[in-house]
Amino acid sequence: MYYWILFLTSALLTIGSSVLMLWTKNLIHSCIFLLGSLIGIAGLYLSLGADFVAVTQIMVYVGGIVILMLFAMMLTGGKDFVSKRQKILDLIPLMGNKKSLIWASLVAFVFLLSQALLLMKIFSSVKVLDEVSAYSPSVEKIGELLITSHELAFELSSVLLLGALVGAAIIARPKKGRGN
Amino acid sequence: MAPLSAYLSISAFLFVTGLAIMIYRKNIIAILLGIELILNSAALNFVAYSKYVTGDLDGHIFSLFIIVVAAAEAAVGLAIVIRFFQLKETIHIDEAIELRN
Repeated sequence: MYYWILFLTSALLTIGSSVLMLWTKNLIHSCIFLLGSLIGIAGLYLSLGADFVAVTQIMVYVGGIVILMLFAMMLTGGKDFVSKRQKILDLIPLMGNKKSLIWASLVAFVFLLSQALLLMKIFSSVKVLDEVSAYSPSVEKIGELLITSHELAFELSSVLLLGALVGAAIIARPKKGRGN
Repeated sequence: MAPLSAYLSISAFLFVTGLAIMIYRKNIIAILLGIELILNSAALNFVAYSKYVTGDLDGHIFSLFIIVVAAAEAAVGLAIVIRFFQLKETIHIDEAIELRN
């Protein structure tokens, strides 16, 4: 019962927020809807029994990335926030004539069909567990896994974060004294 | 519990929405928002398969690493956006044409 309430509200929040994010014209509203969608995904993680991932999702995304995006929007001025609505036909890039468009859509259709057949074969070979494991706290096991079998990736991600920190600071710094 | 296909459908829907945002919007920050949605749909798939198919916690670890990489990518991407705004006074994607031709 609680599971279904959690699952349905999270799924509705996720899907509705992502549709509204595409629909709205204002960039800041779009960012706020991204917030709703991320919280909904955290609820879906909770319904799957992934408590640590859900809390990390809320801490990193809601507390970090969305705030960072809002800061970047504020710093880059207000005149580009409201985008003009375009016609969908203007989005097709200018590539040749009608014949090339028809050929391209044909090739894309055949490609997607073959991919879908391949994926169907893979999906039908996946065996879903008969008995889904019961909910249990996962923090301790994740901590053990992170420092035993996944330690190399753990350390590499710390190096990646350090590199991203230094790189972001260097890129965003205005260059002085070079005639720029 | 809801079947595995429910989670996979939500994830596929999120992926398509993120891709549509990346194509439809002409603002660089909006494109970054679409990328965040796509990364989240991949992480959701990992956790769902970990619950329904393998039964261990490796999928959780993978989605934690996806969150880490997304944070790094957002930091560097927003730094590039701010630098681009300092140079161009706009963040419209059609202004980035130096490498064309």
